[in-house]
Amino acid sequence: MTAAALVSADQLSAVRASHPDIFGTPWKAVKKWAPWVIALVYLVWSLWFFEIGRFLNASDRVWDLLYNVVVWRDMDTWQYGTIYIGIAQTLAMAFLGTLLGSMGALFVGFLAARNVMPVWIVRQGVRRVLDVLRGVDQLVWGLVFVRAVGLGPLAGVLAIFVSDLGTLSKLYSEAIENIDRKQVEGVTATGAGKLGVIRYGYIPQVLPVFISQSLYFLESNTRSATILGIVGAGGIGMIIIERFRASLYDQVAFVVLNVLVLIFAIDWLSKRVRLWAIGENEH
Amino acid sequence: MLKLDQLTRRFKDTVAVSDVTLDFPDGQMVGVIGRSGAGKSTLLRLLNRLLDPSEGQILFGDNDIARLKGRELRAWRSDCAMIFQQFNLVGRLDVLTNVMTGRLFEMPGWRAMAQVFTAEERALAIQALDRLGMAHTALQRAETLSGGQQQRVAIARALAQRPRILLADEPIASLDPLNAKIVMDSLRSINREDGITVVCNLHTLDTARDYCDRIIGMQAGRVVFDGTPAQLTAGMAREIYGAEAEEAFNESATSTSLASDPDAAAAPVRASA
Amino acid sequence: MSDTSTNAVHIFERHRAEMRASKRAMNILALVIFLICLALSMWISNFTPERLANGVPRIFEYFQTILPGLQWDVLFEGRNEAGRATPGSLTYWYTDFWTYMSLIWETILMAITASLLGAFGAFVLSFPAAHNFAPARWLHWVSRRFLEICRGIPEILLALILVFMIGIGPLAGVMAIAIHTVGALGKLFAEVNENASSRPVEGIAATGGTWVQQMLYGVVPQVTPNFTSYALLRFEINVRASSIIGFVGAGGIGQELNRVISFYSDDRVLAVLILVVLTVTVIDLISERLRLGFIGRENFA
Repeated sequence: MTAAALVSADQLSAVRASHPDIFGTPWKAVKKWAPWVIALVYLVWSLWFFEIGRFLNASDRVWDLLYNVVVWRDMDTWQYGTIYIGIAQTLAMAFLGTLLGSMGALFVGFLAARNVMPVWIVRQGVRRVLDVLRGVDQLVWGLVFVRAVGLGPLAGVLAIFVSDLGTLSKLYSEAIENIDRKQVEGVTATGAGKLGVIRYGYIPQVLPVFISQSLYFLESNTRSATILGIVGAGGIGMIIIERFRASLYDQVAFVVLNVLVLIFAIDWLSKRVRLWAIGENEH
Repeated sequence: MLKLDQLTRRFKDTVAVSDVTLDFPDGQMVGVIGRSGAGKSTLLRLLNRLLDPSEGQILFGDNDIARLKGRELRAWRSDCAMIFQQFNLVGRLDVLTNVMTGRLFEMPGWRAMAQVFTAEERALAIQALDRLGMAHTALQRAETLSGGQQQRVAIARALAQRPRILLADEPIASLDPLNAKIVMDSLRSINREDGITVVCNLHTLDTARDYCDRIIGMQAGRVVFDGTPAQLTAGMAREIYGAEAEEAFNESATSTSLASDPDAAAAPVRASA
Repeated sequence: MSDTSTNAVHIFERHRAEMRASKRAMNILALVIFLICLALSMWISNFTPERLANGVPRIFEYFQTILPGLQWDVLFEGRNEAGRATPGSLTYWYTDFWTYMSLIWETILMAITASLLGAFGAFVLSFPAAHNFAPARWLHWVSRRFLEICRGIPEILLALILVFMIGIGPLAGVMAIAIHTVGALGKLFAEVNENASSRPVEGIAATGGTWVQQMLYGVVPQVTPNFTSYALLRFEINVRASSIIGFVGAGGIGQELNRVISFYSDDRVLAVLILVVLTVTVIDLISERLRLGFIGRENFA
């Protein structure tokens, strides 16, 4: 069973003669290994470029941080009230932002839908504005609104509102474009005006889609609202960054733990709600 | 010589293989028959240790196969090749690489990781494929082949292991009669020419009668018949198959009844050089 | 006859009234819950009408200040002999263009490195995290929980901590995004593995292959196309992430964006924002092409 006795030399040369294409060639080896070599060389170079060596010089502060994260002191002075108000504020920001975004998208969505807004220039204009709202990250909006209206949850609500307006309007307008034409024609045939057609022909069909998408965004906004505070836009993130700057690492660890529990709880809850909603639909 | 001693395997509350004691002398071609759920498949998986026995011993020489672990266990699997009803090839790899996976156990770890195969391994794989008439497909993806071709590639992979025992778990159950005959003829020639013990699960009785030196009948996990094809009476067979007797005796179902027609197919297996 | 028919109408009307009553009760309940949530939210986040009335005009004021004062007659004017750009020209607006470009280059490199590192970690962990291939139950549990934690912590928070540990610079951002990628991709990869056929794995096991060999030969060829397309999608997300992770000092264009937004109220804000949005859009287009090309090639091979 030894590898040496696999095939004899003349058998090998016979196979080489009859099936030359199955053996390795330098070119095949290059083609096989080149992507890996390039990736590896790139990784090594980029880590060097990003100064990977910094990990070696990080010792003192890291131990200080780790020590404080694990050892919690003076727990009676931690102002739990502010922490939990911060968490409530995060939820409130997500709720208000999603609500405003959905309400705005209700109008803008119709303006961007091909079958409702026949004027090309208006439709395209609205769509490009929406692209910009979507293209800029929510955190950037947060920073911009902090600059415009000052620190606090108002900036956070506006940031969520603006980025949701961009995304939800697009989704809503797609839902409106995929609508059943016959029902709309039925309402038009009764002699209803433009608004009447929208109210009785479109809204009943698209409202369930709108609501389910908004609920989904409520979930994802709750998650992103936790970090909006890092740029000063209110909520729990602001408490994290304040106490982090004040070197209160044990409190930061506690707050982060709370945030993680919140995130996992929201995940779990929304999964439950979705399952429940699907179950309802199946009846 | 492979010996089974009171081999038993339980799943939760059912006993799939119960108290099986058997000897397999070297170089025999053995057919295991029985109806679905009789424990044939479990028995073969126990032999190759894809399943662990609940009780009993599997002896090969002085080695207790049932107790092997780690590298020794893999050495046994490499000695005891297996082919499956659904071929179990890697569909998105080419045929040649599929056959060369038969060498994995013998290869140094780094070469296995990097999928680097030597010229000898490639030549061996081609020889194995050539014996089954499949060398022309070497660079195709396995999933592009028909069922019968895939099973021949699977046999080539088993041959590349240079095994001492070849286990075949319902090798022809998914094939049409012509391909079934090609596969069974290959297994028999491997048994005759290389002296490899072949243990083959078969659902159809006539195939077992045509190809095997010895037939083992199983029912509800127990061995109820062990003898030559001549000793297997119609009554005995009916008892082994029970309610499935009609299906098992029906020659037009997955069987190799073409075997009686000498012109049906050229002998697919050439003698190895 | 007329007696029974009025009776039928009567029953129908009563049934309808009951249905409407219960439906109306549900609607009122939902409305009340909604109003309570709304009131609580407005109260907790100080979202009062007068604050909004004060804030909204300031938003418009702010957006006016960041518009570039471009003038058509000098728009394409270059620098003069003294090396000064003319106010109102594009050159003046984008005075720091090459600084921005080098930061965007850094941002893209950050995203590539983080995606490679993260995809590698996710690849390794996705096999023990797939319940059908996990070699041991405890290893499965540990890898699942590890992926959940990596995924659960927002990357900007990780970046904040890493910046504190190893200092301001792109390394913290790369590591934060890489860790998050391990979690997010690892979960997706594990799901792909769980949908892979176990037959080839059994085939490799029967030849005497180790667990690693069973994964490498039996599973990897099956899952490579899906892994690649998920990794490319993640790369697109990581480009966005690395463009903002600089807000906490973790490198890339985000650091400059934070600086210009927080310290200047002028056209530089818009200059950087336009470049960021362009970069993200272009990378999305390229990556989408790659993804489609790759999947297409897989299907027609």
